[in-house]
Amino acid sequence: MDLLTKCTFVMACWAVTFITVAECSIYPSEMSGDSARKLPSAVVPVSQASTLGSFYSLSLSSTFPEDLGMNEYCIELLRIYRQRYVTYANCLVTYARPVKVCQNCYTGFNSLEDIYKNISSDQPGPGNVGCHDSLMRSDRLMLLYALFSKLDEIWTSAECKQCLTEDQEALSNDTVYFMATLNQSLACFEQYQRNHTELCKDCKASYKRLKELYGRMDKNQTLCIDLEDAMNITQQLWSKNFSCLLPREETVPVIAVSSFMLFLPIIFYLSSFLHSEQKKRKLIHPKRAKSNNSLMNIQDKFS
Amino acid sequence: MANIAKKVSWSGRGDDRGERTPLLNGDEEVKYNRQDIVRSRPKEIPHNEKLLSLKFESLDYDNSENQLFLEEERRMSHMGFRCLEIRRWVICGLIGFLTGLIACMIDIAVEKLAGYKYFAVKLNIEKYTELGGLSISLILWAVLNSAFVMFGAIAVAFVEPIAAGSGIPQIKCFLNGVKIPRVVRLKTLVIKVFGVICSVAGGLAVGKEGPMIHSGAVVAAGVSQGRSTSLKKDFKIFEYFRRDTEKRDFVSAGAAAGVSAAFGAPVGGVLFSLEEGASFWNQMLTWRIFFASMVSTFTLNFFLSIYHGKPGELSSPGLINFGRFDSDIVQYNLYEIPLFIIMGALGGVLGALFNIINYWLTIFRIRYIHRPCLQVMEAMLVAAVTATVSFAMIYFSNDCQPLGQDNTEEYPLQLFCADGEYNSMATAFFNTPERSVRSLFHNPPGTYNPVTLGVFTLAYFFLAVWTYGLTVSAGVFIPSLLIGAAWGRLFGILLSFIASSQSIWADPGKYALIGAAAQLGGIVRMTLSLTVILVEATGNVTYGFPIMLVLMTAKIVGDYFIEGLYDIHIKLQSVPFLHWDAPPTSHWLTAREVMSSPVTCLNRVEKVGRIVDVLSNTSTIHNGFPVVAHTSENDEPGIICGLILRSQLIVLLKHKVFVERASSRLSQRKLQLKDFRDAYPRFPPIQSIHVSQDERECMMDLTEFMNPTPYTVPQETSLPRVFKLFRALGLRHLVVVDNENRVVGLVTRKDLARYHVGKDGLEELHLAQT
Repeated sequence: MDLLTKCTFVMACWAVTFITVAECSIYPSEMSGDSARKLPSAVVPVSQASTLGSFYSLSLSSTFPEDLGMNEYCIELLRIYRQRYVTYANCLVTYARPVKVCQNCYTGFNSLEDIYKNISSDQPGPGNVGCHDSLMRSDRLMLLYALFSKLDEIWTSAECKQCLTEDQEALSNDTVYFMATLNQSLACFEQYQRNHTELCKDCKASYKRLKELYGRMDKNQTLCIDLEDAMNITQQLWSKNFSCLLPREETVPVIAVSSFMLFLPIIFYLSSFLHSEQKKRKLIHPKRAKSNNSLMNIQDKFS
Repeated sequence: MANIAKKVSWSGRGDDRGERTPLLNGDEEVKYNRQDIVRSRPKEIPHNEKLLSLKFESLDYDNSENQLFLEEERRMSHMGFRCLEIRRWVICGLIGFLTGLIACMIDIAVEKLAGYKYFAVKLNIEKYTELGGLSISLILWAVLNSAFVMFGAIAVAFVEPIAAGSGIPQIKCFLNGVKIPRVVRLKTLVIKVFGVICSVAGGLAVGKEGPMIHSGAVVAAGVSQGRSTSLKKDFKIFEYFRRDTEKRDFVSAGAAAGVSAAFGAPVGGVLFSLEEGASFWNQMLTWRIFFASMVSTFTLNFFLSIYHGKPGELSSPGLINFGRFDSDIVQYNLYEIPLFIIMGALGGVLGALFNIINYWLTIFRIRYIHRPCLQVMEAMLVAAVTATVSFAMIYFSNDCQPLGQDNTEEYPLQLFCADGEYNSMATAFFNTPERSVRSLFHNPPGTYNPVTLGVFTLAYFFLAVWTYGLTVSAGVFIPSLLIGAAWGRLFGILLSFIASSQSIWADPGKYALIGAAAQLGGIVRMTLSLTVILVEATGNVTYGFPIMLVLMTAKIVGDYFIEGLYDIHIKLQSVPFLHWDAPPTSHWLTAREVMSSPVTCLNRVEKVGRIVDVLSNTSTIHNGFPVVAHTSENDEPGIICGLILRSQLIVLLKHKVFVERASSRLSQRKLQLKDFRDAYPRFPPIQSIHVSQDERECMMDLTEFMNPTPYTVPQETSLPRVFKLFRALGLRHLVVVDNENRVVGLVTRKDLARYHVGKDGLEELHLAQT
């Protein structure tokens, strides 16, 4: 038992030390006094009291010793990350409605992705220091990672890659062609803004071409959110605003054919009822033990 | 064996007629009947549910412990018994594997065919929506449906009528101990599979799950015998299992494997066998059945994963995949339980309505639509009308929903909806029923509007009622689930209107599931196994309690009006079905009143001529004959010393085992149990066995072959006691004896099954030739 307790104690001490050191490195320069006070009080009575003393004094100042903080290179990387992040996020919000993010923000995304890769690559920069661990993995928040992964997720779910060329440097030809076709339709809509009936007639050709193109691209998986959204809006314009719906004008023939079909079974059942021989069953008399009162009773009752 | 080629059923004319009548009620039948009328016995009544048909016989579940059997047992080593056990396991594995394969094949075939059909119709509809002339699309759809159904119906009506319907009633009867002619033959299996594919692809309101159970049973019966009499091929394996006892055990494994493949519910399958057929049950058998079920679902899984291009990914276990319910909508609260119970009651009422309508329809069909060509026409008409109704519903529906990102609609129809939207009615109708069920369960709230659901429920209810009982092979599970899911979802939507502010708990998908359970429970009235099947098929144990409650309520409410659908159909087929218990208030009936008497007995050493005469007597088709020590000339009954079966006598006659030939037989090989097994299950009819005049004078010693210790009861035994013996031991003949052990009567299954509780107490069913 004694040994066990001792072991546990040593383990606990070690763990606490580790946590303390780890948490020290977590806080960036502008750590507030408030959060420092939240550090576990259990730490105090342990043998590391002297270190802790210096920690408390340090926490109020804005810098760490060199080895606990970060080197210049990493700070520089962080700064670039910040800039590009802001640019890209700015771009996203700007083109959120109607959605045009893929067309406008791919440069921003590319550069952000570059710097992120740079940080996470773990390749030592000048002075033989890798910034991956110190920037990305030294706290439980892992802010840089979380921020980037969210944006990356948005980019993926927008399927922007499908609208861009292989290297993501420019819009793909399909996209450009689709835009051109879309603009033709929109121009046509513009032209007949006043008269909806005429619009439905005259713009039908270009709208139909657009729809077909869209259908083809859907099959080839070369659609991204921009195109989908643009198409959605166009469809709504066409169907809702200009109400170019197909007319339901064949009600009479459909009803006629349906009622004819529904009439057939009635004829069928009537004719089979009238003409078909009804199936009869021949009763068989089983051999039974000779008369018994109770048996007679039940048979009487039945017949 | 050569005699079998001539396909005459061994129980003679009555049986033969029985097999033929549902097929072709030609003029011949009519003439026969008229003659009968002339013979001044106008004992003819229209078909009704209060009849017992002569064509059904019992299975020989009881083992005949004659000397041959004892000899064989003595010869067999300990190792031999071990091998038998291992063979049983191998057979169960094979059953599971083959059943899974068949399920997989059906699934793929239906998917492909229905895919082609819907694709063609969709293209056509799209074309004519723009150009005008949608009535042509309607006709195209109707014609395609009818064409598919025509093939299926022709196969069933002309080739193998027993393959019609879901097959569950027939399997239920088989497991109950009734030998339904031709129900477990290979030909039936082929027609069944083909028929199911045709009827599901033909767009009828049917499912492919019920027939899977029948298919599994046929596979089991075939595999366990190691041969096929239809193909005339004997693999010379598993010969030991050529007995009714063994066959029936394997058939219960096959049925379980079928359920398991159909719903991805191995435990449900085992419980199904237990619930429907388990009068004879033991632990090892259960374990083997479970093994067969598991193998079956695994096989299906494996091959489907290959088909879907993801080999090794084993997560699509059943033919019907209800999909998974997400954990956040799974939750239910205490205050929802009364709602579930209300839904259960509703399901019971609707199920009873379904059954009542179907009951009258089935009676009409049996009486008037019994010619195969009429049956085919009826099926085609139903298919055409189904297409018409669906089309009309879709055409006049104004319910348009936007196409979603993750929408699962395989064939979205736009019709007159705005671009980018689809017709919501079409997701329910323009789809195979299983997909519709899935979308009702899982589509997000707001996918369907209440009017659409209401109209759909109503239309589909009547279509399904009308469809069940047609001469196509098809099941009732999926249509019931679909009807229930539709009104359940409607219920959920209306609830969320009422509880408008916090409508989080009223997830329509959850209520769709509960509704589906209620409706299915109300129609088929299964309890334990259905609960487990639904729990397993949805992969969700959380709903176990609500589903159980719902099924319980549905059964109680439904039973108040009418029995379950399968029981109705069993009754209408005039099957001598033994329920769990004798009818209540029947203790005053004794064996003396129940038994048939006088009994045709045979002497221990009997004249061949007499045996042949007894067997060929067509007016009384007996299958078991008590063997008595010696019959006196006057009517005194003899003392019982054994029981011999018709099948045994026929084999004896065929091999000419006569006393006079005993000397010459010494050189020949002695008759073994194997000779009896070889003739099983289609013993040749007595007419095909030639017995010359000289041979008629010979004698036959039955001592060696009869069952020396048949079960007997005294005359005063009450009906429930006799019943219990029959039900628990699977008897076929029960000899009634007097104080001095003299035979006075014989009780068979039909003698017991004729009693049932009607409106005014105990009633008796009539025996009839059907």
